[in-house]
Parts: sequence; C-alpha cells; structure tokens
Amino acid sequence: MTNAHSPTPAQKTRSVSRRFSYAFIGIVTLILIAFAAVGIVFNIIMIEGELETRLDNVMQLARTSLPSPLKNLDKDIVNSFVETIFLDASIVYAKVTKQDQIITEKKRPGFELQELKTSVQPSFFLGAKFIVKSADIQFGENDVGKIRIVVSGESAKKQVLLQIYGIVGLIVLIIGAIWIFEARTGQLSQSVEEQKALVEISQVVSSNLNVEAVLSGIVRHAVQLSKTDAGTIYEFDEAEQVFVPLTNFGVDAAFIQALRESAHGVGDDTVIGRAVIKGAPEQIPDLENVPDYPLPFVKEAGFRAMLAVPLLREDRLFGGLVVRRKEAGWFSKPVEKLLQTFATQSVVALHNAQLFREIEEKGRELEIANKHKSQFLANMSHELRTPLNAILGYTELIIDNIYGDVPEKIREVLERLEKNGRHLLGLINDVLDLSKIEAGQLILSLNEYSMGEVVQTAITAVEALAVEKKLELKTRIPQDLSIARGDEQRIAQVLLNLLGNAIKFTEEGEVRVEVTDSDETFLVSVADTGPGISEADQKIIFKEFKQADGSSTREKGGSGLGLSIVKKIVKMHGGRIWVESDVGKGSTFRFTLPVRVDRQRDE
Amino acid sequence: MKTKILVIEDNEDNRRIVRDLLTNADYEVIEAVTGQEGVTAAETQGPELILMDIQLPDFDGYEATRRIKANPTLSAIPIIAVTSYALSGDDVKAFEAGCDAYVTKPFSPRELLAKIREYLQ
Repeated sequence: MTNAHSPTPAQKTRSVSRRFSYAFIGIVTLILIAFAAVGIVFNIIMIEGELETRLDNVMQLARTSLPSPLKNLDKDIVNSFVETIFLDASIVYAKVTKQDQIITEKKRPGFELQELKTSVQPSFFLGAKFIVKSADIQFGENDVGKIRIVVSGESAKKQVLLQIYGIVGLIVLIIGAIWIFEARTGQLSQSVEEQKALVEISQVVSSNLNVEAVLSGIVRHAVQLSKTDAGTIYEFDEAEQVFVPLTNFGVDAAFIQALRESAHGVGDDTVIGRAVIKGAPEQIPDLENVPDYPLPFVKEAGFRAMLAVPLLREDRLFGGLVVRRKEAGWFSKPVEKLLQTFATQSVVALHNAQLFREIEEKGRELEIANKHKSQFLANMSHELRTPLNAILGYTELIIDNIYGDVPEKIREVLERLEKNGRHLLGLINDVLDLSKIEAGQLILSLNEYSMGEVVQTAITAVEALAVEKKLELKTRIPQDLSIARGDEQRIAQVLLNLLGNAIKFTEEGEVRVEVTDSDETFLVSVADTGPGISEADQKIIFKEFKQADGSSTREKGGSGLGLSIVKKIVKMHGGRIWVESDVGKGSTFRFTLPVRVDRQRDE
Repeated sequence: MKTKILVIEDNEDNRRIVRDLLTNADYEVIEAVTGQEGVTAAETQGPELILMDIQLPDFDGYEATRRIKANPTLSAIPIIAVTSYALSGDDVKAFEAGCDAYVTKPFSPRELLAKIREYLQ
C-alpha cells in the first residue's frame, strides 16, 4: 500500500514549470506594457512636435505672405490666406490685426473664444485643449500687423488616442495570444500526462498479475492527474457485502484502519455507496454541507470534496475508486471521465487477478489429482505384478518339465503363454516406472559402475533377438573409459530400451552402439539401419503414449512409454537425449550422461 | 543328505514355485512365512542357504537378515535377498543389511536356480 504524502518528483517538476511559465508570462506582459507606454509618450511628443512644426510653418508663411497685403490693406488676400490656413482642421481660430484693427477674423463653428481663458496651456502634452500662436508681421523693419491663431488639440488628441488604442489593442492581442498558447500547452501537457499514465497502467494491467502493485499504480496516477490529495480503490467483498480498501494513496495507516473498520457497504450513504447505486460517478463537493456523513473520520482528516466511481463490469460489482481533495468544490467533467477510465482499468486488473486465483486453485487441484492418479497407477501396477509373477513362474516350471513331461503340442502353447506373459509384465513395468517417476518416487541409486560393462550387459540381453532377425550387433567402446557414478540399473534400462527399439524396428542391416567420453561426459549412441523417423515424429516420440507412425505401434507392440521413461532417467542423471534420423536412412539415438553423477536432478 | 535351503516368503504361490523348483533340483526346502519364523528356522534347522523376501508381515527381510547375520554361528550362511522391482535402493539396503546377493522380482526360476548353485559351491 502506498501512503505517500509528498508529491512525486514528476508532480514537483510540473508545478515548478507551471510557476515558471506564469512568471515568464508576467514579465513579458510588463515589458510589453512598458514598451507600449514609451511608445505612446513618444507618439504624443512626435504628434505635438509635428503640430508645432506645422504651426511654425503657418507662422512662417504668414510672415512672408502677409506683410505686403497688410501694408496695402489688401483684405481679400489676407482673407484668402486665412481661408487657406483653415484647411488645416486643427486651426480653429485666426485673427489678423493691423494696429488693433481687425483685418480678418475667422472662427470655426463650435469654438468659443471664452474657452481659451480657462484652458490655454503651452503644450497639449500638459493637458492643454488649445494652443495660441501669434506673430508680428513686419514689412522691412516696421510692424505692419499681427496674426494670432488658435489650434485645437482635439484632432491631435484624436490621433494620439487612435494610436494609443492601436498599441493597447495590439498588446492586449499579444498578451492574450501568449496566455491562450500557454493555457493550451498546459492542457496539452496535462492530456499527454494522462495518456502516458493510461498507457503505463494498461501495460501494467495486462502484464502484471500482482494486483496490489497494479492497483497502487492506478490509485496514485488517479490522485495525481485529478489533482486531488488522496485516493482509495475498494474491492467489493461479495460474501460480507462490504467495500474492502485494497490500495490507498495519500492517507495514513490510521485512516486506512478506520476505512477498514467502518465496513461500509452498498446501502450506506457514502460517496461510493451512492455511486454504486447510481451506477455512475458521484461527487460530494463539500463535506461541510453533509453533517451526518457516515464516515466522520474523512472530514476529520481534512478532506472536503470527494469523487467516487463504481467498478462495474457487465453488471457485476467489483468495487470502487474514490479520490478525496482537501479543497471544497465540484470536480470537472474531464476529471470524472479520467477517473472512469482508471476505474475500467482497475476492473480489468481485479478481474484478471480473480481469474488468476481461480486458475491457480484449479492448477493445485489438478496437481493433487495427478499425484493421486500416479500413486494409484504405481500401487495398481505393483499389485498386478504379484499374480503375474506366479503365472510366469508356474509356466516356466511346467515348460522345464518339473511337473512331468509336457507333450510337444502343449509346450508350444505354453511358450506362447510365457511370451505373452512377459510382454504383459513389460507393459506393467513401464506404467509402474512412469507413474513412480511422476509421483516423484523414483530415486536413483547412485553407485560406481563401468559403462563398458553396462553396455555389454545390455548387448548380451538383446543378442538373441538380433540373431533371430539376422541383424549385426556392433559396439565401439574405448578401453580406458573412466569409472563412472550413476544408477547402473537405470542406465542399463535406457540402453536396453534403445537397443530393443532399434532391433524391433530394423528388418535388415545392423545396430551399432558407440560410447565416447570427453569433458567428464559420456556420449552414447545407438544407431540402426531401420526405416528412420520423420521430422514430425521426432518431436513426439519422447512424449508419453506416442510412437512414430501408428501402424508400426500395432505391428510392433510396446506401451509407448519406453522413450518417455528413458528421457526421464537421462534427465535425472543430468544428461539429455535426442534423435537424428532421415526417413529411409535409419535412426541414431544419442544421449549424454555426466561421468560422475553426485545428485539426482529433478525436472 | 540333501542340502537344506530356507525360504522365507509370505506369498503362498511364490513359496510353492520355489519349493517345486528346488525340490525338483534335489534340495530340501524349509519354509517360513514371517520374519520371526524365518529367524527361528535359521537358528534351529541349520540351512546352508537362505532365500529372503523383503516384504514380510512382521518385520522386513532387512531386519531378519541383520538378526541372522548378528548370530556368529549363522553369519556364514549365504543370504540371497528377493527384492521388489522398481524400488530403487533395495539392492543397496540389502547389501547394507548383510545380504550376499539379490535377485529382483519377478525372478525367472531358471535364473534363481543358477544363482543358488553359484552360492552353494
């Protein structure tokens, strides 16, 4: 169980980068605002400067154009000059005088001279509504008149305002864009985190049968990604009808103990109880508003908001996933959705674990049943042998004339009887061997032996059979083989089996036994010139009850257990056995055997 | 006087097969069914060879062998154990108990006779 209170490194990194990006955006915003302010001031100065220049030009024009009309009192020219300068929309008033006599006075509609008294300032920049400019008109050295114009700041102000709006708008746009980009990136990184967590969990769920590890991963991710403080996955105990907390994150042992002892079920008015009845996610946005919540310790631990998702699959209740937050408030739809995904994964994990438990249980039962079967076979075949021994014993005595001379006709039948009896005994022995091996009762009797002698004994035992079929029996055994250690009888059994098979399946040619030793290992081979074994059959002949080609089984007899027993004996000695064969070119069975076997290998 | 062979064997058929085989080969057969009977017969009948089955109703053939071999006047009598097939380790146990040889069940009467003759020479 995981009860960590501190955020994971990944969480820390994420919140650090989040804080960093907030600071970054703030600084960028400030810089933009500063730039904008400077830009605006600069613009105001520029616009005002431009206005000044324009006015100076107007004044200059007046000084050069008006002297002679004024001197000559040519009113028309003065008038048309004023008309001309009035083309500049910012000029609202102009007056040309000659020795206190008004030559021309023009006023733009809506402008009142009284206004001038209150709001004349040297500069628009200092808040002036109007600027007044006047100039003396000189003709030569003499003053011939005076021009006075009033310029309104309105249009300049409009221009400035337009520019300010433009700049501010642009900046708002830029900052907005940055914020949106950042928010989108945040969302993206959140959803990337979610995807990563889900992929990780679904991999763990499908590959891991340790349900506790899987669920603790799920509850941790669920808490972290939903930005809550704690979480629990419950398993529904069908027998007791209660929710058992399986894995927890972000709560202490006392809390878990309290959860366990509370033994709440579907009927209780807990958040998970409600969610299960509803069959959908259920929230409690603020525990403060639920005075009689059935689990008082949840509120005491400082949790305010809870979200529960039932773990359901095909109407079967597996349990529930609950996250708790210390901050009150509703959980958003995406968080609900996220938790539902986690719930689905939890159900898969729980279901897998239950299936696994069932399979394990079945496996154990099967193993016990198999042991019983092997034990039964071992006992039964042992019991079958006792009467068979008597049958064979009496038969042999009769054949040997111990009970009087046997007529030739009866002797022949008796010999067949004996042969069949021995065959039956062989089959029973095979079953007994295999069942003893499977019941784990075959214990190797490890002693020193001579491989040369063992081969010779086996050859002697099958010689008669080979002679009967006119097959040559050849051996190649080095004289200086080391003294070996192993179960001599069982190794002889292996050789007898391989030689017996070779003779049984070979109609003409030879059977050859070779032994070599190197690196403390014997390599023994039994080769024949028989029909060979197909590649497909090579794979199955060491399995129980399998022989190559069903027809030869019926023709040649045998239990189909011999090679399987041989393989087991070789393996118990720490060796291995295989066959090399091509159809029509004979077969070679080879096995390795450690020269010194000091302990029995279990499969 | 015929050579006496003690057969300690609880199975009636096995006893009869050995009896018929050995009687026919001109030996005198003394029979015992339990380990205790076998030890007593060894002490009182003076057999020249003992055939010892391992699975006996009271105590097993190893124990019977140990008791007979523990008696200095009997320790020279050769004992051939009749061990059960497929119970590996019986041969070792038989030698450890003091048996001189063993044959595994199922034995062929011919082979058993050959073995007995080998130890009576």
